[in-house]
Amino acid sequence: MTVATESPQLERLQAVLAEIADLYHAQQILEWDARVSMPHAGAKARADVASTITQLAHGRLVSDEVGNLLADLDGAGHDPDSTEGALIRITRREWERASRIPSELAGEMAQASGVGVAAWDEAKAASNFESFRPHLERQLELKRRYIACFPETDDPYDVLLDEYEEGVTTAQVEEIFGRLKGELVQLVERHRADSVADLPGPFPVERQNEAGRLVLAAFGYDPESWRLDETPHPFAAKPGAGDIRLTTHTDERDLTSLFSTMHEFGHGVYEFDIDPAFARTPLGRGTSSAIHESQSRTWENLVGRSRGFWIWFYPQLQPLFPDALGGIDEVSFVHSVSAVRPGLIRGDADEVTYGLHIILRFELERELLAGTVEVSDLPEVWNARMKESLGVDVPDDAHGVLQDMHWSTGLFGYFPTYQLGNVISVQIWDRARAELGDLEEQFARGEFTPLRAWLSEQIYRHGSRYAPADLLRRVTGSGIDLEPYLKYLHAKFA
Amino acid sequence: MTDPKLEQLEGLLAETQDLTNAATLLFWDERVMMPPGGAAARAEAIATVTRVAQERFTAGEIGGLLENLRGLEESSDYDSFEASLIRVTRRDYDKATRVPPELVGEMSRASALALAAWGPAREESNFEALRPHLEKNLELRHRYVECFDPPDETYDVLLDNFEPNMKTAEVRLIFEELRDELVPLIEEIGDAGEIDDSFLHAEFDQEAQRAFSLDVLRRFGYNEDEWRLDQTPHPFMNTPGHRDIRLTTNFRPDDLSSLFGTMHEFGHGVYEWGVDSSLARTPLHSGVSLGLHESQSRTWENLVGRSRSFWRYFYPRLQETFAPQLGSVDEEAFYRAVNKVQPSLIRIDADEVTYNLHIILRFELEQDLIDGRLVVADLPEAWNAKMHDYLGVDVPDDAHGVLQDMHWAGGGFGYFPTYALGNVISVQIWDRAKEDLGDLDERFEQGEFGELREWLREHLYRLGRKFTPQETIERVTGSPIDAKPYLGYLREKLAPQAV
Repeated sequence: MTVATESPQLERLQAVLAEIADLYHAQQILEWDARVSMPHAGAKARADVASTITQLAHGRLVSDEVGNLLADLDGAGHDPDSTEGALIRITRREWERASRIPSELAGEMAQASGVGVAAWDEAKAASNFESFRPHLERQLELKRRYIACFPETDDPYDVLLDEYEEGVTTAQVEEIFGRLKGELVQLVERHRADSVADLPGPFPVERQNEAGRLVLAAFGYDPESWRLDETPHPFAAKPGAGDIRLTTHTDERDLTSLFSTMHEFGHGVYEFDIDPAFARTPLGRGTSSAIHESQSRTWENLVGRSRGFWIWFYPQLQPLFPDALGGIDEVSFVHSVSAVRPGLIRGDADEVTYGLHIILRFELERELLAGTVEVSDLPEVWNARMKESLGVDVPDDAHGVLQDMHWSTGLFGYFPTYQLGNVISVQIWDRARAELGDLEEQFARGEFTPLRAWLSEQIYRHGSRYAPADLLRRVTGSGIDLEPYLKYLHAKFA
Repeated sequence: MTDPKLEQLEGLLAETQDLTNAATLLFWDERVMMPPGGAAARAEAIATVTRVAQERFTAGEIGGLLENLRGLEESSDYDSFEASLIRVTRRDYDKATRVPPELVGEMSRASALALAAWGPAREESNFEALRPHLEKNLELRHRYVECFDPPDETYDVLLDNFEPNMKTAEVRLIFEELRDELVPLIEEIGDAGEIDDSFLHAEFDQEAQRAFSLDVLRRFGYNEDEWRLDQTPHPFMNTPGHRDIRLTTNFRPDDLSSLFGTMHEFGHGVYEWGVDSSLARTPLHSGVSLGLHESQSRTWENLVGRSRSFWRYFYPRLQETFAPQLGSVDEEAFYRAVNKVQPSLIRIDADEVTYNLHIILRFELEQDLIDGRLVVADLPEAWNAKMHDYLGVDVPDDAHGVLQDMHWAGGGFGYFPTYALGNVISVQIWDRAKEDLGDLDERFEQGEFGELREWLREHLYRLGRKFTPQETIERVTGSPIDAKPYLGYLREKLAPQAV
């Protein structure tokens, strides 16, 4: 961080944090490469390397040196609203969390994550839950050990949630999801009889890639600093400043890759626009998973499924697929890509049913951790709940409990942030519209720069400078609030 | 039962190896995948990971363990894993701890700056822009040499980084023998008249080159589960982990030279691939020296890839791939063209014979620079004079002369000789393989290369770094390094009466 400073302690702290950021950079590349470019047989060695790097980074953070520096700095009177104050606050939070975790456990978790994701990959390909079961059990055992490092917590799930969403409690999520579930189930029921036909394909992959590039270019993707690859499961990564990596999954039977590309762009642009002065510090990344997801959902749904967007883009998309789209007008097209269709796969779900996929996972995670659902019974429970909440029959585990990678890498407590992101996205969106005027009119002209500039100014550039709740309050004037999201859903889908 | 001290040592070494693997991947990613905007952050990340690896290796804990393990080393069989691990680690540790970390940092910083200057300097053919960087690199090399016991020759210390235990005087003897034989051989070949290779300089679709190269590599033993092949301006091989072998090549649109470059990198890759997996995550898990490594890249590139029997199998396939360009060229004409000997300016494009003189020239100039007989400012002139003496070519500009290679900018003084030593060693090993396996040509004509690969794996690759390069050569070939087999091979294959 290029902040003028007279404090040798702060300077030293920044040097240590820069080193940790570099190790984290290596970690990101190890993961990205494992998913994009690594030959399959390299997985075992890769898990070792990832584990070592994680342990070292962890060891550096929890060192006495950092503890002493923080103690010195606490008394040094840095303004909590300054960037120095923010750096000290966030480092203290991470140091306190990490100090609870023995380095061996951190290493074991990284190791299990590398091995688990490879096992999940194979299990999913073969739709064989049994081969994945021991890995999931191992992950749960590690999570329980992890939670045990925080004995004072009311709800064990709080420990996991807090890692991704600072300040949010399980009780709060339960309340929001409880209310939301009722509303969503009603909306799904209302649309159950809809018969919006799926878009008939095929959509040749090369043409889809071209469409994706057109959209990304208009949003502000710059090949000098970004890349886009194909992976079975789309994701975004930023190994270091100026290096943004998106992936997408293109299937010629549908156009979902276009939406997932816009989704990952949202993650990427948040990271890309962070103040360069925060590079190699813990401030140089998005402030929380839910705020991050609010931005991916903004670009995917609020922009990418808006009428204005399609007024601009449909005339460009249609000629790319003359056979498939030649006879479909823009209104029917928008109708089709926004239709409510209860389905099996979270990643493909529409805006209404998506929340129900998340709520299912939230409930199951808690039950697995509490031991009220056994891992061996998980597929059966999954399928029953899918039937109950969405009315769909799960044909096999690949399309059921094995569809998501998260649990294989130990990501428990993460899913709720997806749905919180949806909720938050509309809160921010309402604010943007209040300040920028008719956004859809701008989109219809292919203008996305004003929106990006506003989001950048309000959110992106701050990185982790503000805690998620503080950031949200600065931008919208309130905490997490379900009402704007419900209003949006009702306006669009009622 | 495993000695707990040994287990502790293995744990620490595994960690160092993991960090090295991470740095290797960061480097690969930078060359192959990274958007240019990530360069600054990447430089920091590589520097940190490398420094942490070095710090942890030299922190003292390993030194203490090595002391404690002397007894185990002495009581264990020399060939055993335990004795080899302790022996090799001790040598690495002694070397690493002699050089202060500040100097290591300064050397890598200076190299990074020099490499950054080298690119534009070469493009503009402006030696003057690189000169101060080379001077700085040389100054730092002198400080580096001072960290060690006084050697017979200053150059010994630098050479040891690339060819452990080898002495400058030994290299000099071998190179004199090469020069004395090769200079007249090149003249003889020149007098015999020029070979037509004009058909190699045509348009060749890069995708088709890649597909053909992959066919070749798969016949050699490449598989998608453990290997990958990418395109970069400067080909290289690296391995960021056990069973993860990455080759790069540069398919050029207007010639077929990359086919050989790809086989060359395969040779480096298969050596790493073949190291015994029980050595994974230890410092023994890699090729033993650059000379031995190069012997394998040259084996697969030249001894296999430029042989008649190889092309007996592959030429019809190549002809089919590039029918318009090669349809009317028969196999013999093609074979002669890819083995054409002709003095030229650029090392990496040189044929099997003249290549060595490019190396000898660099070896001599490096020593002159290191020993102060030559100042950097006079280097271009000295370069051009030697090119004229050894190869009879006139260097038109420094881009095609002293600026062509990145090695000196990168601080790699002492590296070049290993290329020609690799050529020499390759034929020693090759002769031994033929003794054991009989007629290899018959197998190559059938497209079968597995027996050769497995022989090399069994006799050389699997050893990794357990023994010194000299011990390794002796174990594989039964004799010390010797230029005669190589010279015999070149004469038999390329002297005019033989063609």
